[in-house]
Amino acid sequence: MKEHCNHSADCLKMIQLILDGEATDQQLVRVKANLESCRPCIEMYQLEKEVKELLTKRMEKRCCPEQLVATIKSRILSFS
Amino acid sequence: MSDTPTRDDRNRSDGPAEPDQFLPDSDPTEQVSADTPARGYSDAQKYQIFNKEFMPHIDSMYNFAFRLTTDEDDANDLVQDTYLKAFRFISSFEQGTNAKAWLFRILKNSFINDYRKKSKEPAKVDYQDVETTYNSEDAESEHTVDLRAESVSDLIGDEVATALNSLPVDFRTVIILCDIEGFTYEEMAKILDIPIGTVRSRLHRARNLLKEKLRDYASSMGYKEENEE
Ligand SMILES: [Zn+2]
Repeated sequence: MKEHCNHSADCLKMIQLILDGEATDQQLVRVKANLESCRPCIEMYQLEKEVKELLTKRMEKRCCPEQLVATIKSRILSFS
Repeated sequence: MSDTPTRDDRNRSDGPAEPDQFLPDSDPTEQVSADTPARGYSDAQKYQIFNKEFMPHIDSMYNFAFRLTTDEDDANDLVQDTYLKAFRFISSFEQGTNAKAWLFRILKNSFINDYRKKSKEPAKVDYQDVETTYNSEDAESEHTVDLRAESVSDLIGDEVATALNSLPVDFRTVIILCDIEGFTYEEMAKILDIPIGTVRSRLHRARNLLKEKLRDYASSMGYKEENEE
């Protein structure tokens, strides 16, 4: 297990691409190898994943007020 | 910095339409204005597209508006303006294409044109400056933020929201679009009118800023715990 990563800035970018579903197959293979042998990269991956989950799951989603939906619909109908 | 004249906010609701400023993916050869009859769509079709393709995204749109403006009244106005514009320019929307991205683009442009100036934007940054800096090679070697996954796992939604709100709006926007709304980089590039490379670097920078804010939270919580013991 590597305790130090010499290219952590690049690794971080790759990790984000993977978590965002934007990595190519080639990039996936490269990072996967690193994620098995490089401790700093494993930790980076866990952190990025945790932060993304904070945003996707733990933040409250505001819903559109019913009143606004009604207003928009009636404004649209008055256009024609 | 810029000598571009600023538009007057107060005219926004009833002012003349300015298609170039907000028309998503419009064909430049096409003259679309409020009194041009919609090509292809009958009134019935227009209402159908509006109800079936636009309205289902209203909660996402409201959430986006609220995260951008951080204010309920502004979010209400912004969403309403966006939907009215979307209906008025529905002829430039191609049925069956990505309605959500189209609507988000209109909303984001309306926000920039009409709401940004009056929004409670905490951190004023020189946008051009930020973009230049973070597109340069310097950004490549940027250090990673010293924060551990375990220390963010206890953070709650409110703390994340506060950290997110404290980011400059351009950085906040890419995080919302990517992580909260799940747009692809390509869709984000279209919504924001920037190349995919810029999406990638802005997102990268935004996340580093967010992690810095979260680290401050996490360390202040750690500090409290130590003091309580
Ligand atoms: Zn590595």
